[in-house]
Amino acid sequence: MKEKTDVLQGTLALMVLKTLDVLGPLHGYGVARRIEQISGDLLTVNQGTLYPVLLKLEQEGSIASEWGASENNRKARFYRLTRDGRKRLQAETRGWEQTAAIIGRFFAVKAEDLK
Amino acid sequence: MRTIRRFFKRLSSWATTQRDDQRLRAEIEEHLALQTAENVRAGLSSVEARRQAVLKFGAVESVREGYRDQKGLPFMETLLQDIRQGLRRLRNAPAFTITTVLTLALGIGATTSIFTLVYAVLMKSLAVANPNELYKLGKEARCCYWGGYSQYKEYSLVSYDLYKHFRDYTKDFSELAAFQASNQLFGVRRAGRAEAAQSYPGEFVSGNYFAMFGIRAYAGRVFSGSDDRAEAQAVAVMSYRLWQDRYGSDPSVIGAVFNLDDKPFTVVGIAPPGFFGDSLRNTPPDFFLPLNTEPFALSDTDLYKPDNYWLELIGRIRPGARAASIEAEMRVELKRWLRSHWGEMTANDRAKFPKQTLFLRPGGAGITAMREEYEHWLRILMMVSAFVLLIVCANVANLMLVRGMERRRQISLSMALGARPSRLVKQALTESILLSLLGGVAGLAIAFAGTSLILHFAFPQRGGMAGVPISASPSTPVLLFAFGLSLITGLAFGIGPAWMATRVDPIEALRGASRSTARTGSLPRKTLVVFQAALALVLLSVSGLLTAALHRLENQNFGFDQERRIVANINPMLAGYGGDRLTPLYRRIQDSLSSIPGVSGVALCIYSPLGGNNWGSGIRVDGHPSPGPNDDDMAFWDRVTAGYFDIIATPILRGRGITEQDTATSRHVAVISEAFARKFFKNEDPIGRHFGQHGIGSEREYEIVGITKDAVYLSMDLGKPVSAFFFLPEAQHDFLPTPEATEASPGSHLMRDIVVAIRPGASLSFAQVRQALASVDPNLPVISIRTLEEQVGGQFRQQRLIARLTSFFGALSLVLSSIGLYGVTAYNAGRRTGEIGVRMALGADRGDVVGLVVRGAFVLIVVGLLIGLPLTFAAGRFLGNQLYGMNPYNPEVTLIAVVTLGLSALLASLIPALRASSISPMEALRVE
Repeated sequence: MKEKTDVLQGTLALMVLKTLDVLGPLHGYGVARRIEQISGDLLTVNQGTLYPVLLKLEQEGSIASEWGASENNRKARFYRLTRDGRKRLQAETRGWEQTAAIIGRFFAVKAEDLK
Repeated sequence: MRTIRRFFKRLSSWATTQRDDQRLRAEIEEHLALQTAENVRAGLSSVEARRQAVLKFGAVESVREGYRDQKGLPFMETLLQDIRQGLRRLRNAPAFTITTVLTLALGIGATTSIFTLVYAVLMKSLAVANPNELYKLGKEARCCYWGGYSQYKEYSLVSYDLYKHFRDYTKDFSELAAFQASNQLFGVRRAGRAEAAQSYPGEFVSGNYFAMFGIRAYAGRVFSGSDDRAEAQAVAVMSYRLWQDRYGSDPSVIGAVFNLDDKPFTVVGIAPPGFFGDSLRNTPPDFFLPLNTEPFALSDTDLYKPDNYWLELIGRIRPGARAASIEAEMRVELKRWLRSHWGEMTANDRAKFPKQTLFLRPGGAGITAMREEYEHWLRILMMVSAFVLLIVCANVANLMLVRGMERRRQISLSMALGARPSRLVKQALTESILLSLLGGVAGLAIAFAGTSLILHFAFPQRGGMAGVPISASPSTPVLLFAFGLSLITGLAFGIGPAWMATRVDPIEALRGASRSTARTGSLPRKTLVVFQAALALVLLSVSGLLTAALHRLENQNFGFDQERRIVANINPMLAGYGGDRLTPLYRRIQDSLSSIPGVSGVALCIYSPLGGNNWGSGIRVDGHPSPGPNDDDMAFWDRVTAGYFDIIATPILRGRGITEQDTATSRHVAVISEAFARKFFKNEDPIGRHFGQHGIGSEREYEIVGITKDAVYLSMDLGKPVSAFFFLPEAQHDFLPTPEATEASPGSHLMRDIVVAIRPGASLSFAQVRQALASVDPNLPVISIRTLEEQVGGQFRQQRLIARLTSFFGALSLVLSSIGLYGVTAYNAGRRTGEIGVRMALGADRGDVVGLVVRGAFVLIVVGLLIGLPLTFAAGRFLGNQLYGMNPYNPEVTLIAVVTLGLSALLASLIPALRASSISPMEALRVE
């Protein structure tokens, strides 16, 4: 069994935003599946935990939602990125890349580099 | 930004809980359906596909919880839930709720009602514009007159001349007003109406008084600087209270002429409601009169004497001005003014000149004589009521602990099912705060009733006059205080029990045996009882000390007889008497009253004992050196008619009293008191010596012809060594030792009090006295008639009230702590039923069992007493001079308090002990 990683609080929100940015409007299940697929099943969350995050993002105005019909013709709620959400995604992406770059540089350092 | 938006979203969705719940359910359903469909596509059976989907989704409830936490305002939501649940639980236990709410209401009500007084007397500003801009002259309130060109410690009273000097030379006051330090009664009659004059207090104030306070007339106009000139027409401003009560808000009062002591004044306006002048006092003025009408109204020249200090100062400083620099400036001005009067100053005044100074203090609360008078009492009462509240808290905490015990199983079950302890604590706390808020609401009603009652007893209204301007109905600060107090109380008694209630092991719920709870929770309850006993002991001894001090005061040797004596207070001036017509009037009054059967004698005096007023003077004794600047040469004096000492029954120790032989033309004599003899003639024989009270040259004014036993005339002398006194005959007039030889204080011949002595066994009604006086002159206003006992008793009104209040609080605390002890003892005895059964089965008899239970209770009480005793001594020290010289370490009082507490503890523990011992061993063992 592969070891699974806990999702950092906050990164889940970023994943949701990015998913919606790439794929356009999606329902909750779609978002959950996509995150699962992209993270290559390395990262599982109880799919249920997604819904409070979706709600929070909606309250903050980063995403909006409306009722629509799903692929098997059931009533489903579709989430889409708002303009605010796009801006937020850009800002957070930059922040994340910076952090990743810094951490990356730390890992690249070897003992002799510091002499 | 995002957070704010989110908050509003949450607020709105909190309001629409139901719809959102449905939305979530629909979303979850959809999610599971999609996942199931996918699992079926992957080849699972439909049942297994659904199961896997649900597993993958996670616990629906916890998602829903998380969702709800995100969505609404969880704090508000749980609070509302807790409140609903708390109310439900309180409704289900009505006996508990009512007891607790009532107990709390007593504690909160008592404290709030004392706070109402504290706020009104110690904290409230005058009802004027921007009170924080006002500054007054003087650190301490000083009543009411001062003479000479030096003042003790500080210049706090000014003359009209000095006022004008300050007003004209101090730039940083936008207005500086002066007003009479005392106020005085006027016989008031509306001109042209056939009505008897009625007394109302009036006060002389400078023309800019209203402008300085920023007060506008309710109707008509207030007076201004132009009305306060010697040649201006005499005007007056009437209080709203009098206008409404006496004249039914009649608009024709404005512009009407009123005779004040038979001098016509035109009422130009009505002061606004709620304005009671410059100081909080028992009898706020009903008439405000310009300073310059004083010579006209009182026919004297006080206004024009530069060294006659009878005015207080309050000024409004200019925005941005600093009080400290004004104070410095005024000190310089004072010195300059004194220098300009150098020629009139005595050698003593000149010697004191370098020390003369003054102080400016915030004046937003006005002249605070009442504050200084009552501060210590109010502190005592506040402390006592706080103690009562603490005992109440302990009692309620005890009840809550029991309640917590009963709920243990329920709580451990909740915890076993995953309830968080913090939430359970919050729930229990919500319940206690609910209780204390309910108690607070009921407490407000008690506070209102209590304050009204205290005001009624402390400041009884005198006929027709305004009472003390303190309202019993709660103001905003009082309401806030009560609310805050309730919250704090709720936390105080709730937090311990709430925390302890959740200290349970969830496993207990499953075990379900009552035994496992046996030992826990007993210590805190015992501690509370010990605490209560200690506080109750303090309160009991405080009330005991105050009661004993009162008893001592009331039963001291006053030096005169109170029984069978009536004092009628008159004002001959109001009926137009004065000068030569006075002595014959007194003669007629004496004759008329003496002819009533049963009257054994009648005498008149300026002031009868403890009538609340007196004249003081600096004394010069013939043959002694002149008193120096720091010598105390003060003595008090009274003017009396012949036979006065017999009628009031003050024994003459040596020589004679005032008799008929002391006439206007005979040599001027004085009768002195023992204290006077001690103070001015230490080792000499005073009889035949001379002294005077009118400065240099007056040393041979009076010859001493007698010495009386000391009698208490001044309320400030109660419980202290009596001040020096001397008595002068009514018939003799004093003249100043100046070339013009003007008469000194002619006003001292206005006898205010008639003392009527009644024969033993005879009775005399007030109506008979009034009738006899009316037969002398129907226009002679009788201001009051009361027995001398009532007059003396009136001096102890405050002390009696305080003693009764603290006794009430003491009794209350005794009852509450006995209930607490009873509760704990009964509970413990109940839990030990099994043990008692075993003991009895093994041969213990009823006495042993009773002893066992009572001993347990007494250990608590004794520990409480040991803690309480040192506190008691500390409290006695705190009472200090309110005990009128009684030693605060009074073993009798302490012993009585200890015994009282012990007896009620015995009673409280005996009941459960007897009940425990009456059970049969078999029954007791079956309880196991």
